[in-house]
Amino acid sequence: MRPTLEVEGLKLVRSPAAQVSGAVLALVIPLAAAGMMWAARSGGDSPMALKVRPMIIGTGWAAYLGMLGELMSVAALLAIGVVLSWVVGREFTDRTVGSLLALPTPPWQTVVAKVAVTTVWALACGALSMLVALPLGLALGLGVPGIETVGSAAKLATILLLMTFLAMPLAWVSTRLRGYLSGISTLIGLIVVTQLVTIAGAGAWFPYAAPSMWAGMGGPEAAAVVTPLQLSLAIPVGLLGTWAAARRWQRSELV
Amino acid sequence: MTAPLTAPVLSMTGVRRAFGPEQALDGVDLTLEPGEIHALVGLNGAGKTTLMRIALGMLRADAGSVRLDVGAGPVNPLGAPPATWRRVGHLIETPFAYPELTVRETVRCAALLHGLARPAAGPAADRVLAELALDHWADRRTQTLSLGNRQRVGLACAVVHEPRLMVLDEPSNALDPAGVVRVRRWLADAVARGAAALVSSHHLDEMARLADRITVLHRGRVVGTLDPQSADLERQFFAMVYAEEAA
Repeated sequence: MRPTLEVEGLKLVRSPAAQVSGAVLALVIPLAAAGMMWAARSGGDSPMALKVRPMIIGTGWAAYLGMLGELMSVAALLAIGVVLSWVVGREFTDRTVGSLLALPTPPWQTVVAKVAVTTVWALACGALSMLVALPLGLALGLGVPGIETVGSAAKLATILLLMTFLAMPLAWVSTRLRGYLSGISTLIGLIVVTQLVTIAGAGAWFPYAAPSMWAGMGGPEAAAVVTPLQLSLAIPVGLLGTWAAARRWQRSELV
Repeated sequence: MTAPLTAPVLSMTGVRRAFGPEQALDGVDLTLEPGEIHALVGLNGAGKTTLMRIALGMLRADAGSVRLDVGAGPVNPLGAPPATWRRVGHLIETPFAYPELTVRETVRCAALLHGLARPAAGPAADRVLAELALDHWADRRTQTLSLGNRQRVGLACAVVHEPRLMVLDEPSNALDPAGVVRVRRWLADAVARGAAALVSSHHLDEMARLADRITVLHRGRVVGTLDPQSADLERQFFAMVYAEEAA
């Protein structure tokens, strides 16, 4: 499987889809978090400041990185979902899937490698976003980051990992419907359903809503009641999606 | 060095395959001997690509048997072990060419996926790029290549690991006359080294120059064979096709 991981990793880092999505996660989101913190801290009653202040939980670095986590929870599923749909679905859209068959690496390992490299890419984007966020926090005048920064970074990584698990069923969708646009359309549908479920009040038990609520998108009260069990539901969703994709790559006629 | 092959590299007996009401293959028997270029010719939709995909385990046959023997023991391509696939190369319709990779990277990736170790993959890619006259474009991204050069990259990817069995669906598609000659010579050299090739085309002149044996496929059936050295292959080909239509 190692050669497949190397090849899929190279294809991923070279792809415009991953580069643009990676720039959003690693650059745009920290800049947006810093901008919103600046608006909230600058005083006044501008519309921006009034909207942002309720989203801030805590003070200092914890508040800033918490904001980063909130924004990341919104952007991550979208970015990772688009990239994973493309990574898998492009082989059908571009009709290159036949080149990945009749090889020493069985087909199921190929799609698992695609999911694995996308997961590593997502976590790398999260790490880069932290590296970008730190100097921006210093520029905001938050002072030298303390030990609580480690906890915030761990929470950010957890959010990204959960969102990656939640994106994994799109590998199956892009395989089943033979193209990346099907996966992206399904992703849009998932985001709409998540909004509706959250409005209906069942968000914490809906795997696609729980990480964003935990990040604070529903306010501090909603974040506090999200349990580890509710968050961990993302893991079986991801494993089931990957298993279904791997099974289809191995057993179905893909050409 | 691996031992020379003696048994047929590919044996297909009574292979049938339908797609809905369309009978794509209807009882096809075919063998490919070691050191042989066996050409499949037929009109569009004759079943050539389906036959090749079944030979490679990409599609299942509804009936009949398929055996690959590339020196790792005779196996059914469905579920064949990695040792078998390390000795097989294929180019079916779309070349292994990703627009974001350079030509050299693409061929090196193909070498890795076909089982070459990392230290061997780069030199193997450079060798086949030189042999197929692609070294001029080695550092260009494949998206900048012409259709014909992309096809040659696909061929380089299919053969970079020096397979014993090559399954090539219209390998000279989109190539200019110089490219056609170069690929033909390269294939002849590879077969002289002990490989075997199943090649499809609907260009009879090209197959006459390339193949040791020509099998004519029409509407999913083998309707005859052509001697590549014989005269007026086109007339013989259409005679077989019309006879099958009239039957």
